[in-house]
Amino acid sequence: MTRPDVAGAAADDPPSAPGKAGSRDQGGPDRGSDTGWLRLSPRSLVVRPLTDLARLLPLVAGLLILHSRTGSSLIWGVLAAVAAVVTGLIHWISTRYRITDERVYMRRGLLSTKLLSVARDRIRTVDVTAHLLHRVLGVCRVSIGTGRNDFRSGESFHLDGLTRADAEALRSLLLAGRPVANGAAADDAEQPDEAAPAPAAAEQGREIAALRLSWLRFAPLTLTGLVVLGVLYGFLIQINEISINHNLAGSRPVRLIVADFAALDIAQRVLVGAAVAVVGYVLIALIGYVAVYWNFRLAEFGVGTVRVTRGLLSVRATTISLNRLRGVEISEPLLLRAARGARCIAITTGLRVGRGAEHEGSVLLPPAPREVATDVTARLLGVPVELCSGPLERHGPAALRRRYFRALTSAAVIVAGIGVATWARHGPVWVPIAALVLLPAAGFVAVDRYHNLGHRLAGGWLVTRTGSFARRRSIIGTDAIIGWRIHQTWFQRRQGLMTLTATTAAGQQHYSLRDVPVAEGLAVAAAATGDLIRQFQA
Amino acid sequence: MTTERAAEALLPGLRVPGNRVSRRAISYWTARAVLSGGSVVVAVVIGAAAGGFSSAWDAAIAATGVAAAAHAVIMPRWRYRVHRWEVTDQALYTRSGWFSVHWRIAPISRIQTIDSHRSIGERLFGLANVTATTASAAGPVRIHALDRELADTLLDQLAVATGQAPGDAT
Repeated sequence: MTRPDVAGAAADDPPSAPGKAGSRDQGGPDRGSDTGWLRLSPRSLVVRPLTDLARLLPLVAGLLILHSRTGSSLIWGVLAAVAAVVTGLIHWISTRYRITDERVYMRRGLLSTKLLSVARDRIRTVDVTAHLLHRVLGVCRVSIGTGRNDFRSGESFHLDGLTRADAEALRSLLLAGRPVANGAAADDAEQPDEAAPAPAAAEQGREIAALRLSWLRFAPLTLTGLVVLGVLYGFLIQINEISINHNLAGSRPVRLIVADFAALDIAQRVLVGAAVAVVGYVLIALIGYVAVYWNFRLAEFGVGTVRVTRGLLSVRATTISLNRLRGVEISEPLLLRAARGARCIAITTGLRVGRGAEHEGSVLLPPAPREVATDVTARLLGVPVELCSGPLERHGPAALRRRYFRALTSAAVIVAGIGVATWARHGPVWVPIAALVLLPAAGFVAVDRYHNLGHRLAGGWLVTRTGSFARRRSIIGTDAIIGWRIHQTWFQRRQGLMTLTATTAAGQQHYSLRDVPVAEGLAVAAAATGDLIRQFQA
Repeated sequence: MTTERAAEALLPGLRVPGNRVSRRAISYWTARAVLSGGSVVVAVVIGAAAGGFSSAWDAAIAATGVAAAAHAVIMPRWRYRVHRWEVTDQALYTRSGWFSVHWRIAPISRIQTIDSHRSIGERLFGLANVTATTASAAGPVRIHALDRELADTLLDQLAVATGQAPGDAT
């Protein structure tokens, strides 16, 4: 099949990656027979030390500089390199995995061995990632997501350094729930996408959504750019520590810029500063969006799985089994919402939503037009589009009053604080007067929060929506609800409201209907989970 | 009884869980309130000593003392009226809190672990609490301040009930 006007093939796999990634020396996972422990690809022998060294790069650079200044021996650098190679070797020797009909086992550690195992029918997601080095060597990292949420580090189930063919075979094996002809899988994986139309069709599944260049307009509207900025800042700090910065600050172009900037008057300085900040932010956000979502593609595969592939330098392919998909969250940060954009996050037990969702692999759709987001959600969950975009039950005037009260009191406290501070320091009178503008702003926020607040229960799906600065609509299957929490403060009690929370093992673990009228909330809970609530109803 | 009626009125439409917690819970909560309130009062007194016992400090000491005393008197009794629990064939149902009230319902079939914990304070008063966790990180149900023997029985009862429920509980 031909790709739409996606990212094109420019950023596709480097030719070396899929090509020679065959695994004849290894055999790949055998057909469910329970003999034999398998090893990672010998290529991981190269990956591991190099990744470790890359992580130590600032340190190594520091040592080099130290060396050039003091002339002390390079012994430490050599030692570090040797240590990295040895740990890589140990990692390869000690890590083995084995797949039986029921379980997947993984063994690692040389002196204190650790044996991890997971039942195959508990596997929710398989996540295959490959950063730049992986791709050059044609290997990748496979993470297996189960229902557990409390993985301590070292207990997560991942295999770092499988050949592509092995990873592909492993993925089909684990998620299809049936053995896959090993040779066939390897063949598919060895064909570059464009060169082999016939197997590629099976390989690529049915496309649900793919990145369009026009979506780049949403890039500056989320905080992803800020995250990239943070990373860059950290990087600069590190460079600064290695004291390159001194030369940079002293260099001629920098001095010229500083001099020009100092010549401007204050208004111009503010304007120029703001322009530079905005342009820089937009650029960085674009770079971040492209790096993370380039070649984004969401496709459905025959046996009820969907796969998200994306990434420019480090590629990631997350495969989610559809019957484990408990719901979808459509999130609309304020700016994105203003531009009629939205993004989708999977609510599933293997992947945890929350901080750094992008890194956790639960992204179903990058910032994209809202219609695309609702269509994708409706299609994945098999629900009418109207459930993903349509109107919701409002929570009533008491909820609105509560929104006003909370927004206005917090704004009033801030204004009072500013007033007191100004008075105490004999500041100018216009400061507290200007601060008064916070009050109507808080009013707008309150109204917006109220309009966004809502819920709906239809056809076995519970829809909730909250938030203003980050509006979220979560659509969860009622069969994924494994308990209820009701919370009522003294103030809520006087207004006949309560906060009803459905707990689930997926995604954020809890989804709330905030400030819902008591009778309505109980009716929703009873309708969603039947006897569980009804037996306690008065 | 007036306390009963107050208990019933909390959430119209939802029945009150059947069992109260141990009566000794009131003493336990009082002891805890006295300890925490007392330490706040001591902190204020120390602050006042450093500030030379001005009239403002005296007022602060008095206010803190009154608030701590009121809390120690009112909170445990109020809490005792709110805290309730019940186990049915299908679910574990609790109500807790005082100023803010929490209800929690967890289906027995979704309970994954049950454990009992006794802090030093609870042991002094012969109390124990029972916690049932589900596959949701947000879903633990805790029954506070039970009689020790009752907690042990409940633990066994829940263990049997959850052992019988099929499925992987997610």
